[in-house]
Amino acid sequence: MTRLLLLLLTSSATLLVFGLWIPLKAVIAQELLEMAWAESQARQTESRPWPWADTWPVARLAIPELNDTMIVLADTHGESLAFGPGRLTGSRDHGGAVIIAGHRDTHFRSLKALETGNEVRLQGRDGRWQSYHVDGARVVDSRSELIDTQRLPEGTLLLVTCYPFDSVDAGGPLRYVVRASAKGKQREQIDTVAGI
Amino acid sequence: MIISSSPLRLCSPAPVTRRQRFRLKRFLEGVSLWLSVLLMLFVHPLYAEANEADNVGQLHFVDGQGQWQEPALVLDSEFDIQVSGLIADTRLLRSFRNTSDQWREGVFVFPLPEKASVYDLTMTVGERTIEGKVQPREAARRTYEKAKQAGQHAANVEQQRPNLFTARVANIPPGETVSVELKYQQPVQYQAGVFELTVPTTLTPRYMPGAPVRNAPDQWQGGWAMPTTEVPDAGAISPFTVTPDDVAADSHRAVINLVIDSGLPIESVSSPSHRLASRQDGQTFSIRPDGGEILMNRDFVVRWRPVAGLEPSAAVFHQSWQGEDYLMAMLVPGENGTMALPRDLVFVIDTSGSMAGESIRQARSALQAGLDTLTPRDRFNVIQFNSQTHSLFMQPEVATGNNLARARRYVDRLRADGGTEMAPALSRALEGAGETEGGARVRQVIFITDGAVGNEAALFRQIRQQLGSQRLFTVGIGSAPNRHFMREAARWGRGTYTAIHSPSDVDGPLQALFSAMESPVLTDIRVDWPGQETGKESFPRRSGDLFQGEPLVHVVRGVPAMGELKVSGRLPGGKDWTRTLDLQQAAPATGLHRHWAREKIDSLEDEARVTGREPDKAGITELAVSHGLMSAYTSFVAVDSTPARSPETPMESDNLPTLLPAGSQDGMLRYPQTATSAPLLIALGLVGLMFSLAIVLLQRRAFP
Repeated sequence: MTRLLLLLLTSSATLLVFGLWIPLKAVIAQELLEMAWAESQARQTESRPWPWADTWPVARLAIPELNDTMIVLADTHGESLAFGPGRLTGSRDHGGAVIIAGHRDTHFRSLKALETGNEVRLQGRDGRWQSYHVDGARVVDSRSELIDTQRLPEGTLLLVTCYPFDSVDAGGPLRYVVRASAKGKQREQIDTVAGI
Repeated sequence: MIISSSPLRLCSPAPVTRRQRFRLKRFLEGVSLWLSVLLMLFVHPLYAEANEADNVGQLHFVDGQGQWQEPALVLDSEFDIQVSGLIADTRLLRSFRNTSDQWREGVFVFPLPEKASVYDLTMTVGERTIEGKVQPREAARRTYEKAKQAGQHAANVEQQRPNLFTARVANIPPGETVSVELKYQQPVQYQAGVFELTVPTTLTPRYMPGAPVRNAPDQWQGGWAMPTTEVPDAGAISPFTVTPDDVAADSHRAVINLVIDSGLPIESVSSPSHRLASRQDGQTFSIRPDGGEILMNRDFVVRWRPVAGLEPSAAVFHQSWQGEDYLMAMLVPGENGTMALPRDLVFVIDTSGSMAGESIRQARSALQAGLDTLTPRDRFNVIQFNSQTHSLFMQPEVATGNNLARARRYVDRLRADGGTEMAPALSRALEGAGETEGGARVRQVIFITDGAVGNEAALFRQIRQQLGSQRLFTVGIGSAPNRHFMREAARWGRGTYTAIHSPSDVDGPLQALFSAMESPVLTDIRVDWPGQETGKESFPRRSGDLFQGEPLVHVVRGVPAMGELKVSGRLPGGKDWTRTLDLQQAAPATGLHRHWAREKIDSLEDEARVTGREPDKAGITELAVSHGLMSAYTSFVAVDSTPARSPETPMESDNLPTLLPAGSQDGMLRYPQTATSAPLLIALGLVGLMFSLAIVLLQRRAFP
């Protein structure tokens, strides 16, 4: 009986530690990413936050109203979302819409506080900041809806996280999508010979 | 665990007073109370989520923008194809099985071969079969809507593009199946001694150029695309595209049975797209895909080759239908073109998002193969386009080693992304129309694309206007290219269409194309049927130039199988060429009248395009109805006479998705998984701790 009890206690405590480790990892990783971001800005290259990382910082996201800033990673594959929000597609250099996804329990927990009209800022590797205005947010069902990247106008920023915010279900189908559009849009056309 | 269990152990051996023990107990009870409150906090959102999920589901029925519902319908397809002579006759059975417990309407957008003439529709509900009728498009739609409201079983099939159709099936009872049987025929392609038949099963999602139409009428919306200024019917030709994992495990499968009875000894049957299981019975071949069923994410292509030396070079077929004679003649000039003039070759390659994946790799290797054919006398250029157009050189440059090396590097770096703005790329490719140096050079454009656009008609018009003396050759890429666009663009561009089906299939078709491109073998073609004013009721009205290996196919009405058919033309050197065909040897055939009617409809639509006027809608409708054909203005509708669903019972509409063509990457992104298991782990950990504490307390109470 005592052994069973001990087993139960051990396993629950382990679960608790693992559970607490995730938000802790998210915080620590962001500190490391800050350094990698500074380095990639200085050298203008992709620099990995730790040698075995399969991702690298590509942008800095700031939400002035919430006093929140975080480093955005390339892609959302593997474990990279545990360290920071990931950029699914788009970059300022290539034009098109930018889509960033992040974990509801860690980095993007603050998304629910974003309101229409709030400012979201995105810094590229060249150090220039681009301001976006939040147009609104909506809840989508990821089973039945896809993101059509070709339809999104240029200068659109989508922030994606899971919904509802207080759920314990990690595999839920609902997503919370904040849509923002660039203000003061100044985008050079890509360099073409034909220039059509 | 050490923290929680150690005070207990430390406590028990020491002599403790009753008061201390009581205090400890109170303390632990307090802790568990707190933990249970915490647990409540975690359970509450779960509960809330369950409630919210329902609401969201309802919302998404209402707003219906850019989304499809989880399909409750399972789709089965069965193709029975019979090839005799030059015409393939297909019976296509589509079954919609309703797996939900609600009444459903199924809407399915599907491709058919680009030259298909649909001539019959039958609906089967349980034991009963209901024959469909051809009606003018609007009338058919009204009949269908009325029957749908009244709760009758009904089916409606409409043509959106010559190779794209919409099937609607209303009032499918819960748990039951409604089948729609379509019959269509198509001419078999015959090129360079090889017959080819294509069964399209899906479509590449198309790009809709133009600005979105604001304040679009709030009409039926079944697709992901919103109407634009250039493609007003975008919603009707953009079914949702999903991966095979997204549909039920037995949905979107097709059974194909192909019987070839061509009257010729066949040497070999092959397919560049699927593995075949074929059985020979005399001169008849029965062919089915290996394994019986295929996934509907790739066109099914079959090629067969007659025994060497027995390739047909001429054939005549005859049919009597409603007292009228119909004749169809096929003739292969069998001449070789001779390469005469230096060329200006412009390669145009589509690098839009729909080409991502396998397609862009095939396109790159096709382009590299094209660069190989250049000689130092030729000039060339490479143009790529997606949302923007970009060209390698400002104007065609001489194919020196240096320039070719530059081009190869450029081609290797091509990546597929963005929209499909074809019009500026065509303008750029065709802009040098006048620069032929007094006819001393030929200008040719090779257009490598999957044709995934919604504004085909506007592009054909543009090709016609800008072509001049140039020729445009199209190379179709991918598992499901838009063949209608490919073939028609090549026809308006006075060139040919070549399809590449798989990476292993690049060389053969391209070699045929490059040798055919060297020059057309027959120009200024005249076809004289006996006792008939030239070109009166024979189609195509104006024969295009023939390239090496290409047959001339003509169809006529009102000419009995007597006398001789005379075909004349001009060979590359300027010499005249004449051939006669004895019509008395005509073999009996079926379906010629439909082929004739379809050709006549096409020619009426061509005329409208050339003159820039509206097509003769009344004429086409009359022609289509009298021959029982589907067209842009006529559709099929079948209605059961007795209502099956009472008006109070609700019915939902399901827009069935099509499968993403094999090897291509989805332009539509999936929402990533954006939650961690942290809250769950924390909650479980806390529950476990609380539970064990509760047991400890109970134990101490029971055995103090």
